[in-house]
Amino acid sequence: MKTNITLLALMLAATATAQRSAIAYTEFDLDNGMHVILHQDNSTPIVCVSVMYHVGSKNEDPTRRGFAHFFEHLLFEGSANIGRGEFSKHVERAGGVLNANTTADRTYYYEVLPSNQIELGLWLESERMLHAKVDQKGVDTQREVVKEERRQRYENQPYGTILLEVLDRAYDTHPYKWPTIGFMEDLNAASEADYQAFYKKFYVPNNAVLVIAGDIDVAQARALATKYFKEIPRGADVVQPSVVEAPLKGERRGVVHDRIQLPAVVLGYRIPPTGSKDYYAVDLLNRLLSSGNSSRLNIALKDQQQKAVATGAFNLPFEQGGLAILYAIANAGVDAAALEQAMQAELERVKRDGVPKDEFAKLVAQLEMESVQDRSRIAGIASDLARCHMLMGDARLVNSEIDRYLALTPDDLKRAASTYFGNDRVALHYLPVGAKQP
Amino acid sequence: MNALNMKATSSTARRAACTALLILPLIMNAQLDRSKPPVPAQPPAVHVGEHKTFTLPNGLRVIVVENRKLSLVSVQVRFDMFPIVQKKHANAIELMDELLAAGTAKHSKADIDERIDRMGAQLATGPEGVYASVLSKHLSAMLPLFADVVRNPAFPEQEFQSARQRMTSEVKQRKDDPSAIAEAVGRAAIFSKSHPYGEIATTKSLGTLQREQAAACHAKFFRPEIGYLVFVGDINEKEAKALAKSHFGDWKPSQRYVVVHEDGTQTLDGFGEVRFLDKPRVPSGPRRVVMVDRPGAAQSIIRIGFPLNLHPKDNRALAAQVMNTILGGGVFNARLMQNLREDKGWTYGCYANLESDRFNGYFTASASVRTAVTDSAVAEMMKELERMRTTKVTTEELDLAKQFMAGSFGRNLEDPRTIARFALNTYLNELPKDHYSTYLKRLDAITSDDVQAAAEAFLHPDNAVILVVGDKNKLQARLAPLSWNQGQPVMELDADGDRYVETFEPVRDRTAEQVIERHLEAIGGRAAIARIKDMRMGLSTEMAGTPVEVMQWYGPDGLFRSQAKANGAVIQEEIFDGQRGLRRNAMGTVELEDHDLAEVRFNGHPVPELHYAKEVERATLSGRTSIDGKPVLKVHMVLFAGGTVGDYFDEQSGLKLRRVELRSRRAAHGDHHGL
Repeated sequence: MKTNITLLALMLAATATAQRSAIAYTEFDLDNGMHVILHQDNSTPIVCVSVMYHVGSKNEDPTRRGFAHFFEHLLFEGSANIGRGEFSKHVERAGGVLNANTTADRTYYYEVLPSNQIELGLWLESERMLHAKVDQKGVDTQREVVKEERRQRYENQPYGTILLEVLDRAYDTHPYKWPTIGFMEDLNAASEADYQAFYKKFYVPNNAVLVIAGDIDVAQARALATKYFKEIPRGADVVQPSVVEAPLKGERRGVVHDRIQLPAVVLGYRIPPTGSKDYYAVDLLNRLLSSGNSSRLNIALKDQQQKAVATGAFNLPFEQGGLAILYAIANAGVDAAALEQAMQAELERVKRDGVPKDEFAKLVAQLEMESVQDRSRIAGIASDLARCHMLMGDARLVNSEIDRYLALTPDDLKRAASTYFGNDRVALHYLPVGAKQP
Repeated sequence: MNALNMKATSSTARRAACTALLILPLIMNAQLDRSKPPVPAQPPAVHVGEHKTFTLPNGLRVIVVENRKLSLVSVQVRFDMFPIVQKKHANAIELMDELLAAGTAKHSKADIDERIDRMGAQLATGPEGVYASVLSKHLSAMLPLFADVVRNPAFPEQEFQSARQRMTSEVKQRKDDPSAIAEAVGRAAIFSKSHPYGEIATTKSLGTLQREQAAACHAKFFRPEIGYLVFVGDINEKEAKALAKSHFGDWKPSQRYVVVHEDGTQTLDGFGEVRFLDKPRVPSGPRRVVMVDRPGAAQSIIRIGFPLNLHPKDNRALAAQVMNTILGGGVFNARLMQNLREDKGWTYGCYANLESDRFNGYFTASASVRTAVTDSAVAEMMKELERMRTTKVTTEELDLAKQFMAGSFGRNLEDPRTIARFALNTYLNELPKDHYSTYLKRLDAITSDDVQAAAEAFLHPDNAVILVVGDKNKLQARLAPLSWNQGQPVMELDADGDRYVETFEPVRDRTAEQVIERHLEAIGGRAAIARIKDMRMGLSTEMAGTPVEVMQWYGPDGLFRSQAKANGAVIQEEIFDGQRGLRRNAMGTVELEDHDLAEVRFNGHPVPELHYAKEVERATLSGRTSIDGKPVLKVHMVLFAGGTVGDYFDEQSGLKLRRVELRSRRAAHGDHHGL
């Protein structure tokens, strides 16, 4: 039985590779320790220049929660050679777009430009790394902007605080406890010394990966990357936090009153670090539960029992061990307890009966489709290359990560469900303000 | 300067780099001049790819864009529909969309879902068509299912019931979703609720919907003779032709027609009466403010808008887009973004959106801002609209917008579906054949005069609807001056876009006096309150960067004094000795009279409820309502001195949660109990 399934997985793996060609790339290190990855694809005359820094909210001082993301905003303010507000002007005047994002583990900056402007992208990113600069007006303005971002994304949205509430209960000591958006009182307390220290410590070439992808000539791109970045001095080695979070040991149950009409149930489970075998197993379990209309939570909770209007299950992919978050929003007239029971029943079913192989094959088909779609945009390929190198330790995974999924068997899913979707968890009921607690 | 300044590091690094160059003259790169942006190479040629097209005998036009880069094919069917006023059947078309993939004669919903997921494919339905994306190896298995969903939806009764239930839940959810309210009520306020683009589904309209209406919409609009079938990706014309013929070739053109009756009304069999949009709505009426109340909201959502008569084939449409880009569309350097975010720090983002549309275009400018700056933000946004009309844009702004738009055009071509979209737009909007191949040339030719002309033609701040979804109590008075609607400066709407009417559940087991008595008990009881000799209350805040402090002193026998300071200097004082009152400010000192005197007398007690017998002519218990989900009782009071007051008491704790004062001197109507 087991052999057959493995064989099936192997056959599917073979078809999966047949449907897509490998992403070709070149990589090398500069003397200052910066890693560079180049990917050539001349089909559209655009180029993506990006830098990922191995710093996120988990690297923050616990009294400066939200600093990494706030700092990301500040790094658009300018440099020794770029005045306030000029950074984005250079890009837009060249016909490009720019943006950045911050997670618990890393900060990512990118520009997508017409390919003749590759050097502009490198100039801007090297200015940002070499001698970023921000004046008081910039600090004060961006602090207010971040506060508005927090209000818009978390406070003025129904169910907007789910992530904040789950993280706070899921961790006791690890910096993953606080959300990347942080807390405003901490940002108010940030001073000049904080900016200097953070920049000096984390924004160094040996803590960064530069990716240039798109309509490039590899030899020329290599020369240009060297030209703009080689003079940036290496910094001290960056040491990632080594907090070891104790197992949850029991259930953290809570009720959150929100301005909502329909109750919701949210379950949070600790999962292993990204890249580990079981990380992929839990990720596949999430897909089994909620990916596609024929997924289990959709069929059971939405179509058959009509207890939910929406369901979902996804991994928070943290490199030091994240969470799987499962949620359902109740249909009108259904209470949270009944909804939770229905979710729990689906979890128990996987633990008890496992996953039939034809249903497993469905997950593989979805993965295969995704792995092809992921190649449709050069900007997506660039960020995936950076992620694989920096957070997974090997850029080659851009092509081979799918094999880690395909190596899993239905039994792995059953085992992962029993191991990770147990009683040690966060369980939240979101209830309308004023609703009685169960 | 208190700034992040890394200059020391930089010059050291630069010196080190220079030294290295001197020692190693073999390095070819000339010394890097960091002070200026690098000079770009020749711009790459932007090539708009080709599409192939042919028409089946039944009228279905097929569009094919071949691109073999990925083993992926997308298939889309799109119908040339025109908007109808669905009236009391609002959302029949949306219901049709919900039910398209919920079962056909051959396949149940569960069967369709299972088959799609087994291919790892995506299938999405919409009110105007169906879209699917699939690996090329599964295309031949996908197409029969795709065609079945497009051609033969069965609208099963049970699926209809659950779809309607789901849509009803979503409508309920909207009540607590400020962004969804802004979207729905914004459309209703801009287009009116009797316009196809302004209709809003309500629990009531969904309650009257029948599955037959969804089926009638399908019979009317999903017909081959008004359809386009679009293939993009790993497929060529020949393969597409074979698939189109075998799955759509036998589809008979048999549109269900609208019947025009003698009295001019029109009906569609199975649907009932329909009305069509006869002409586009244009900006009209005075600038006005509408609000949807969100007590205690963290932010206000602002949406300023008006309808436009702007067809995509209008030769000013491109200049209008350039204008909108400079004002607030897409670029970070747009005026709205720079002003409200980068200069003021009021918002995470402020955007303008100008849509040309073959039936009815529109303009909106939107932002989410904190409550305290809401009126200032609206004023700045209106100022920016005005400035676009009255002054010419700078060369720098114009160049940036044009370069950015040219860049976006090139970037969008990375996705082969863009070429199909261009083709579809060209047919649906009857654009010239070379519309997209000449895009970059036409864009380059646009001048600042064209931009200003477009602003004059398509920006109408004087007729704008200003929608604010936020805290009404804090904002109503401050937004009123921004409205030119004299009769009703701020109109309050509910989450369905209807005029807001406060509704109460009747409460018959107690009187207004008992509710007030209960409140007095809750805060300590009459006896304890009577022992309060004096009370002092201080408030401090910041207005436009200036620290403001307000102090209030309450003494015995109605003695009262208040003082407001800005930047430490007294700007206003009020003193009341129990009989007479004075107000002192920059305008001088005046004795309070009439309503002002009544107001200070009414509010001049630490616990005004203790003195209601003297002040309140009559009090009514309006009934039970809710604040933030908590049951509250409202007491409506008419004052001897004129004006009315509404107090809201928490039913459980007896504490006062809100007070609404109206300065109107007119007495309220209705039953009342003397106090």
